[in-house]
Amino acid sequence: MKNTRRGLWLTLLPMYLFTLVFVAGPLVYMVVLSFLQRDESWGVTANFTLQNYTQIFQPVYLQTFADSLGLALLSTALIVLVGYPFGYFMARLSARGKKRMMLALMIPFWTSSLIRLYGWIIIFRANGPLDQLLMGLHITSEPLRLLYTYPAVVVGMVYALVQFMIFAVYSSAEKMDWSLVEAARDLGASPFTAFCTVTLKMTLPGLLSGVILTFIPSMGLFFIADILGGNTVVLVGSLIEDQLVKAHNTPFAAALSVVLMLMTTAMIAFYRKVSDVKELEGLL
Amino acid sequence: MKKLFSAVLAGAVLAGSLAGCGQSADRELNLFTWVGMFPDEVLADFTAETGIKVNYSNFDTDESMLQKLSQAEGGDYDLIIADDYIIQTAIEQGLVAKLDKSKLENIGNVNPVYQGQFYDPTDEYTVPYGAGVQTIVYNPAMVDKEITGYADLWDSALADNLAVVGNYRVINGMALKVMGESYNTEDPAVIAEAGEKLLELAPNIRLIKDSNTQDDLISGEVGAAVMYTSQVTLAMMADPSLKVVFPSEGIGLGIMAQFIPVNAPHSDEAHEFIDYILRPEVAKECFQYIGYYCTNQAADALIDEEFRSFLTLPEDFDAASTEMIQPISAEAEEAHVQAWTEFKNACGQ
Repeated sequence: MKNTRRGLWLTLLPMYLFTLVFVAGPLVYMVVLSFLQRDESWGVTANFTLQNYTQIFQPVYLQTFADSLGLALLSTALIVLVGYPFGYFMARLSARGKKRMMLALMIPFWTSSLIRLYGWIIIFRANGPLDQLLMGLHITSEPLRLLYTYPAVVVGMVYALVQFMIFAVYSSAEKMDWSLVEAARDLGASPFTAFCTVTLKMTLPGLLSGVILTFIPSMGLFFIADILGGNTVVLVGSLIEDQLVKAHNTPFAAALSVVLMLMTTAMIAFYRKVSDVKELEGLL
Repeated sequence: MKKLFSAVLAGAVLAGSLAGCGQSADRELNLFTWVGMFPDEVLADFTAETGIKVNYSNFDTDESMLQKLSQAEGGDYDLIIADDYIIQTAIEQGLVAKLDKSKLENIGNVNPVYQGQFYDPTDEYTVPYGAGVQTIVYNPAMVDKEITGYADLWDSALADNLAVVGNYRVINGMALKVMGESYNTEDPAVIAEAGEKLLELAPNIRLIKDSNTQDDLISGEVGAAVMYTSQVTLAMMADPSLKVVFPSEGIGLGIMAQFIPVNAPHSDEAHEFIDYILRPEVAKECFQYIGYYCTNQAADALIDEEFRSFLTLPEDFDAASTEMIQPISAEAEEAHVQAWTEFKNACGQ
């Protein structure tokens, strides 16, 4: 008994060490950094200050947080609209159909996400394939100039994250006992009522974990906004990058990161509270 | 135990001295700069002529260079090429060695326009390599207006048609220049005023991008762009019908310079390399390759006709109209970042 316990500890030790050194360590470092003062020319001075946090309350930075949140909400809403039905119908396919669909969804992941984003640049470019298609079909008469606009960023976000929603919904819809829906229908429920009272409730855990899996990353995927939005859609992530790389203001960048992390943590806690879903246990 | 320790120590010392011997037999040079700063043939010819092996390592940003150099306490590297402002910081931190000019026969080839600048006022530490200016490039077929300076960029004829590089000192600096101020003003109120002025430019901005900005000009995504010299060179080579404007309000100048770290292991070899690059025929190859302004006046005449207009300064170029972007106080820097963030937010609306 004692031996297996020790063995267990030994096998877990690398994980604990890894987490301590590469997760907890940098986190503590970042929090400490966020209370220090920037040096006049270079680096950081060891003076305690709250200024990095008070600075965030300037309207321009609050606006950036609000914009990030807005984009994340919009992207997540669209992902639910696209991903939920997709996952739901995928679960209803034959075993062979499921396998094929799964493969079709996985193939894009074999390419780097950055390269796939550059693909969107080509599609959206003035007189690019999209423009030519729409003009060829006489839907539009001149180039849409979609590249470097807000809608382009939203499309990029949805494209990058929708798979997570599909897989989450699919896995809970797949486990569902369809005879419950049949029972509801037998007892006189319309297809819509049966969906709302049975299917939706049973797939809710999948939907909610899909929301978390897409909402949280969409707060941070600033490179999509940078590439498809031409840097004119500012997210907290790009603000942090600017502070770090261009302004050399490491403490302010750290403070922004701490606030962003607190926000996402609060959101996860909120979801846990309202959903009471066991599947999210691992996320906090 | 003690014996074992001293034996190990002796072994280490022996190994170290052997390695030392090896080094003096094979001469080498640890060159540290951005990727793609020299044509391969130039490096190969240098090795063939001098027997000095060049170990090229690269950094992405000036800041990461300084970090590595200060961790190495001014050692490890023999020759570094980086941007002006970071060299000033490196010199202040005592990481840069004074040059031994007696080893640089060709130092007289340097164009004096690029000497005596803020980061090294007496040219004791550095030799300039490539130089760049910020210019406006536009496509006359897409812009119904003649552009002569930064002020013209505010014109509504350029609505949603302008690309700019993502450097806030350069872009906020355009507004400062239009207001008749210096790039390096430290007055937060003036910087904030420049920020207000930039907000009026926002409707014209389609794109803010640091690398390959020229692609969007060439493909017709934008009609005009504020860009760095290397990008201008690429744009002009792809489409000679584009027009390059040296802004009438004044010209922002940047210089990449070579310096030898204070504890460079191969200082002699570094001097030899600097002198080799200063040869006019070698310099010509280098500048045609990197696409920056040629800082070697003896090489100007050698540069091929097709490149000459963008690699050498125009004849009527007024050196007095240039101003370099220099480090400023933290307070001024913060005012810049705030103005910049407001500007970017406004561009997306």
